[in-house]
Amino acid sequence: MNLRTILKLIASTAALHLAASGPALAQDGPITIGVQAPTTGSEATYGKDILNAIGLAADEINAKGGLLGGRQITLISGDTACDPQQSVNAASRLASQEVVGVVGGYCSGATQPTLKIYGDANIPFVIVAANSTQLIPANPGNAFMINSTGADQAKTAVDFFAGKGIDKLAIVNQGDAYSQDLANLTRDAWKAAGHEVSAFEYVNKGEQDFSALVNKIRGSGAQAVFWTAYYADGGLLIRQLRQRGFQGTIAVGDGSNSPKLFDIAGQAAEGVYAFSNPTADFLPAAKQFISDYQAKFDTAPGPYAPLAYDGMQLMAWAIDKAGSTDADAIIKALGSADGKEWLAGPISFTPQHTLARSNFVVLEGQGGKWTRYQP
Amino acid sequence: MTWYDSLLQQLADGLVLGSFYALVALGYTMVFGVIKLLNFAHGDLYMTGAFAGFGGLSLVSGVLGAGWLGIFVAMLLAMLAVGCLGVVIERIAYHPMLAAPRLSILITALAVSLVLQNAALSLTGGQYTAFRTDLGFGGLSLGNLFISYNQIVLVATAAVLMIALELFVSKTLYGRAMRAVAIDKDMCRMLGINVSAVIAITFFIGSGLAAAAGTMAGAYYGSIWYFMGFLIGLKAFTAAVIGGIGSITGAMLGGLILGLLESFGTHIPFIGSEWKDVFTFAILILVLVFKPTGLLGKSEVERM
Repeated sequence: MNLRTILKLIASTAALHLAASGPALAQDGPITIGVQAPTTGSEATYGKDILNAIGLAADEINAKGGLLGGRQITLISGDTACDPQQSVNAASRLASQEVVGVVGGYCSGATQPTLKIYGDANIPFVIVAANSTQLIPANPGNAFMINSTGADQAKTAVDFFAGKGIDKLAIVNQGDAYSQDLANLTRDAWKAAGHEVSAFEYVNKGEQDFSALVNKIRGSGAQAVFWTAYYADGGLLIRQLRQRGFQGTIAVGDGSNSPKLFDIAGQAAEGVYAFSNPTADFLPAAKQFISDYQAKFDTAPGPYAPLAYDGMQLMAWAIDKAGSTDADAIIKALGSADGKEWLAGPISFTPQHTLARSNFVVLEGQGGKWTRYQP
Repeated sequence: MTWYDSLLQQLADGLVLGSFYALVALGYTMVFGVIKLLNFAHGDLYMTGAFAGFGGLSLVSGVLGAGWLGIFVAMLLAMLAVGCLGVVIERIAYHPMLAAPRLSILITALAVSLVLQNAALSLTGGQYTAFRTDLGFGGLSLGNLFISYNQIVLVATAAVLMIALELFVSKTLYGRAMRAVAIDKDMCRMLGINVSAVIAITFFIGSGLAAAAGTMAGAYYGSIWYFMGFLIGLKAFTAAVIGGIGSITGAMLGGLILGLLESFGTHIPFIGSEWKDVFTFAILILVLVFKPTGLLGKSEVERM
């Protein structure tokens, strides 16, 4: 037997194996779904929350008999650490493991570069939390955003501040895709509404001392401050604003509406307003979800848990509707989401694959927790 | 806010920031003085100090409360613990390397930094830990000028620590030995000075001061996390270079100057707060180019 025959033999055996095992795997094996969330780093609280909620949804689906006539869902998690570089690694890893779909996506800055990876690999992606408008042009067509975008939030913010009789607004962001996007949209909308942006500032991530910034805000005569980035640094800023006698209104974007804000800002977070996607506490349909989540993870569901849960359920619904694990069929099914009522409200998509309605509410910090604000 | 108020406010803020930089810069400069090592793990000792102070406070707050007394005792505990950690790090990581080329020990220092950072990352899961205290938000309000009591206590504590260090180094026998070791280790050995002990004391004091700064920063800002030492480590290094690395008075001066420059720098028209760090590190580059020995440094110091 010469070398060529041996090689031929190996090749044909391998082909036989592939032919035998390939379809079998695709028809009966588990359906793997990737979960993209920052489970370490500064946003780990939200990331774990998203992972938990998706896990809860998957368990419920599996308990009901799985998908496509009995196939169970297996989850693989990819940690983005809210960092663009790490998220690219996580996404490549998920793509190489041939997941049927990906659910997750928290930090917009870390989600944006993953869109291309999933686009190239043609993997359906349900984005549950990230909501920068910059994600829209970067979407190759396989991603669906089930959270309202920054533009919706900016409108809610402008209406809120105007309703409070404020004219001079200071806007502070952290220079990342999400907070910068929200800051720019709010600035433009605020100016368009005929008001004044008295300060428009950036802070560097990881910075602890905001004294110079606070002086600048106070010096600018701002009546209100809008923090568009995340809670960890937001808590510090709120604390230092109040510590230095800033008396005006403070509001934070949906990246900061975590209960942890009260840990960091303490007393200073009282009376602070937050714009939020509907969190479980404010959803009438979520009672069962809250108790299930609490029982399973021994902690209350965070602000993105309902959306993450919906994201997994929506993906499962689309796979069943597509009737196969074929990516194009699933993407088509997702696009045809018909406004059915989910945990956090109805889901249907615009032609750009964004949520067709705004879901923002205004919250107020009272007694160390968020309550629904009624003007 | 008039320009006069604004000037005083920035002066006050610059002093607070400068106190932190100065305390951390002291450790850099002392270690550089005795073993000519840029201890890049120093910023992480500051972070470790913040966590040690947090642990110390939860130990003593039951008895002493979480006010200034409790924080002060927690700070002393953190200084002791992190001081000892500094000595252990020196023994394990740097001592065996003293005869090796300078670059090897520098890389070891980076490794120590990563070990500390990642240990804290895995212990805390990368989450922010809230540093709860009973300190209020009260302060002196003079017109538009606002200085909180916390800031006053903080700057005073830093000043006391720095004066104590200055007295220790200039007046005591160990301080004199420290200065002697900085000048010529071999000669010290010949004269019967226990050089290893002097190096250990230097690490103890330097790390202890970083821990003091870490605890105070935790109590003042209200939250701590594993990465908090990185930026301040770089800035304290900048402060040490401005003051003249190896010079103790220089580090204090450099810290205060850097704090003030940062505070005032962000108020230059058309330069927003996003330029704060650019400002800091541009100063580092300028000092390195035009006066590499710093303000109070000696010219014979060999640089990495």
